[in-house]
Amino acid sequence: MGYFNKTQRDPLELVTIIPDEKPHIFIKKDSVCIKECENKPCTFYCPSRVYYWEDDSIKVLYERCIECGACPYGCPYDNIAWQFPGGGFGVVY
Amino acid sequence: MGNDRYNAVVVGAGPAGVTAALSMAKNNLSVALIERGKYPGCKNMTGGTIASMPFSQILPEYWKIKDIPLERRIVSDELWLLDNDSAVRMGFTGKKFGMAPYNKHTVLRYKFDRWYADQAIKAGAKLFCSSLAVDLVYHKTGPLAKKVDGVILEGGDVIHADVVILAEGAQAALTQKAGLRKRLKPNEMTLYVKEVLELPAERIEDRFNLERGEGASIGMIGFPTSPGIGKGGIWTNKDSLSVIVGGYLNQISGKGLNPLGLLERFKGHPLVKRLIEGAKPIKYMGHIIPKGGFKKIPTLVDDGIIVVGDAAEMISGRRGMDLAMITGQFAAESVAQACALDRYSRDILASYEERVKGSFFYQNMKKGKSTEAYFNKHQDSDFLITKAMNDFGYKYFEQNLDSDKSNLLKMLEELINMQPLSKSAKDVLFGLQNWGVL
Ligand SMILES: Cc1cc2nc3c(=O)[nH]c(=O)nc-3n(C[C@H](O)[C@H](O)[C@H](O)COP(=O)(O)OP(=O)(O)OC[C@H]3O[C@@H](n4cnc5c(N)ncnc54)[C@H](O)[C@@H]3O)c2cc1C
Ligand code: SF4
Ligand code: SF4
Repeated sequence: MGYFNKTQRDPLELVTIIPDEKPHIFIKKDSVCIKECENKPCTFYCPSRVYYWEDDSIKVLYERCIECGACPYGCPYDNIAWQFPGGGFGVVY
Repeated sequence: MGNDRYNAVVVGAGPAGVTAALSMAKNNLSVALIERGKYPGCKNMTGGTIASMPFSQILPEYWKIKDIPLERRIVSDELWLLDNDSAVRMGFTGKKFGMAPYNKHTVLRYKFDRWYADQAIKAGAKLFCSSLAVDLVYHKTGPLAKKVDGVILEGGDVIHADVVILAEGAQAALTQKAGLRKRLKPNEMTLYVKEVLELPAERIEDRFNLERGEGASIGMIGFPTSPGIGKGGIWTNKDSLSVIVGGYLNQISGKGLNPLGLLERFKGHPLVKRLIEGAKPIKYMGHIIPKGGFKKIPTLVDDGIIVVGDAAEMISGRRGMDLAMITGQFAAESVAQACALDRYSRDILASYEERVKGSFFYQNMKKGKSTEAYFNKHQDSDFLITKAMNDFGYKYFEQNLDSDKSNLLKMLEELINMQPLSKSAKDVLFGLQNWGVL
């Protein structure tokens, strides 16, 4: 089932993003990611790989977000606080 | 901007918001249209097509308007039940759909929304880009009563208006904040990714068997998101192809699927590969679609406020842009009435809700109720019908030495053994409904 693996290509080569200076994505409680969330689905359902797991915590590369809107709903523990980046910032298709 | 007051402020310059703004401006109402993107459309994505009939009710003979960024007129619509190396194809091609008044046009939102918003500006609406609305402002109308009276922008500026129209799309932060919409669950939304791939017009026409300017759309179920429920799709644009893949978020998240991985896998399918051969990826995008269905339709009006388009979850099958436009138009008409009376309470604006409830798509959404329940129960149904139908196809078309009659009987027997026949037929039906063919 090779397609379950994440692909190596970086999709963001095809995307223009103007990152806001301040992040628009926050993890509410790191401890939930560490202790309760077994599969860390945010690391695969996010279409532009904003989340990755390193040194026992979830890292958030908010600058990569293409604002698909999925992550606040896809996290099984409702542990992601997501809002729009500031006006004029973020993805420009 | 701070002291400005408008008849209406519209949050979101997608098809819903622009239609509302355009129509109100034509009615000589003062309108502010707020868009968080640098320009309208730069945040937005869609599959494919806009339905001609509803759109031409808003802009009659829109295809004749100068500079309108339409891609192709769709004459051919197919649904493929796609298995690993085969496909059962169903479809229709109609030359009439290639002639006015047309049936559907493909569009690319980063071009289309911008153009459409220009039409609203020409009619007199004021567009504010790079402006994020973060909250609503209220005005006290009695000891316990209040009405929505404008929006607060990030940075603190306030835009006052007699009515606020929320056309903020699928995420609907303000609609939720106003308490009009409940939070969706992950099984009540789908997540799609899309790639736009450049290919010269002549090659598209050769490959998809089209005449100049004609377009094709192919929806595929089964393989694209197996073993979950989802779809793949290919649309022809002028000199590019739109390719999408996605499915229910709970299944993507629960089955360990990665949307980009699904896209790559879909593009690598032997029957898909030949359609996109030589085409160069130029854009990558992602977006959710609210699929809460009939039971989750939000409260559509309150004192001084109306919700339209995706924010109101006006989605039926594959249709969303046209419903966004129609609800935007309905809202504009109700606001015009309210302004004439100078009354903006819920009971006056309720005429909007009545129009929505009387519409064809509301009836369709009501019908769709049974599909949702079925899909929640049978997450493998797309996959199973696709498998069964493709096995059937291989057998049916295989040349062998049996008589045709005994062949058919043998196949029917196998199909019946695979799953109860009644369920197969039901699966096909729901599959088609889910894709929006029925
Ligand atoms: C993969 C996919 C395929 C689809 N295929 C089709 C199809 O083939 N045909 C079809 O008819 N429909 C299709 N749809 C559905 C269609 O795209 C939507 O129904 C339609 O875009 C809804 O229009 P809208 O105006 O309500 O919202 P949107 O188009 O989402 O527009 C909302 C706008 O509001 C802005 N905004 C949001 N919040 C704020 C804020 N707080 N302040 C300022 N601005 C804000 C956004 O930037 C955006 O421009 C598809 C959708 C997807 C995701
Ligand atoms: S899915 Fe949610 S809880 Fe799990 S790791 Fe990601 S953010 Fe943390
Ligand atoms: S909104 Fe979409 S792209 Fe952005 S972080 Fe969430 S899942 Fe990833």
